[in-house]
Amino acid sequence: MPSRQTGVEPDEPPARTNEPWAQATAAFNRWVAGDPAGLDDLVAVMTPVLWHVVRAYRLSETAAEDVIQNTWLALVRRRSAILDPVAVGGWLTTTARREAWRTSGSTAATPVEDDDLALALPRQGSAEDAVVQHDEGDRLWAAVDGLPERCRRLLRVVAFENRPDYRELATELGMPVGSIGPTRGRCLAKLRVALIEAGGI
Amino acid sequence: MSELSRDALLEIVRDVWERHDPVPEHLVAAMQAAAALADSDLDLELMELVERSTELVGARGSTSYTLRFVHGDTDLLLRIAVDNGRSRVDGWIVPPEPMTIRALPGERPDTHEAVVSESGRFALTDLPIGVLRLRLEPHDTARPAFATPAFEI
Repeated sequence: MPSRQTGVEPDEPPARTNEPWAQATAAFNRWVAGDPAGLDDLVAVMTPVLWHVVRAYRLSETAAEDVIQNTWLALVRRRSAILDPVAVGGWLTTTARREAWRTSGSTAATPVEDDDLALALPRQGSAEDAVVQHDEGDRLWAAVDGLPERCRRLLRVVAFENRPDYRELATELGMPVGSIGPTRGRCLAKLRVALIEAGGI
Repeated sequence: MSELSRDALLEIVRDVWERHDPVPEHLVAAMQAAAALADSDLDLELMELVERSTELVGARGSTSYTLRFVHGDTDLLLRIAVDNGRSRVDGWIVPPEPMTIRALPGERPDTHEAVVSESGRFALTDLPIGVLRLRLEPHDTARPAFATPAFEI
């Protein structure tokens, strides 16, 4: 485990995200022991996590699916390179994130803009929103969706990954390594304020 | 009200994205299929090429040749023909055994497949011209699949 650069908050992983990681390790072990169903289970547990991590990079659905498929093929072909089964979840998300970042840099952003527009549409309009957003889900979404892009991505990655590698995240977000922790803290603070303002909590 | 912990906030973030950008329904099954194929491919035992006919050039530019592979007690004879740009592979399994034959062009799964008849014969048509392998999947699941080495159409 890399040591924490910031000491802002103790970095205990949220309880819920621990589950897929433990399940992934168990499934990986079964697969390595010769049970093909272990691979099926590993894919079932980790594909949703990879989806959210990869989609944080503004990739179209098709591009995201390609990245995820390449990640699985890489795992199958290099499984002997994973010496610590406990690390398999982290290996998968790191591999997917690298590829997503590479892909997001190399493809035109145009199709992705459409996606983002579509996602952003529900929060457009203002005065009526307060009335229309009677549903708590809408208010929560408006708060998360209204965050600055950097916060949106950082929090989505952090929320779905167990312990993202800060060094790589920093490179991808164009930030100094030491500032990821504080930035995460500021993003969470922004979200807290947005939620309160939206009356979502 | 501002007592929301970091974990609670991250849980909100997760819930919100799960609802607004859900995992496509087909994705898990598609990824399971891709991973399983790559996995079985790695462990595939290869048949051994034991005979290869010289290429026969027929009339109108058609060509054909035969290959013979062996794996354990299974013999596989293939006749590969290309006529006017259309390919055809006829196969004969000895001794006959119920199995599904799949063409594996490169690394991609493909839809070219055939089931071996009672007499041990099968045919695949219109395979893409190029390098491919055949994967033989015995219906007796106790028998592992095996594959030919790559050959060319």
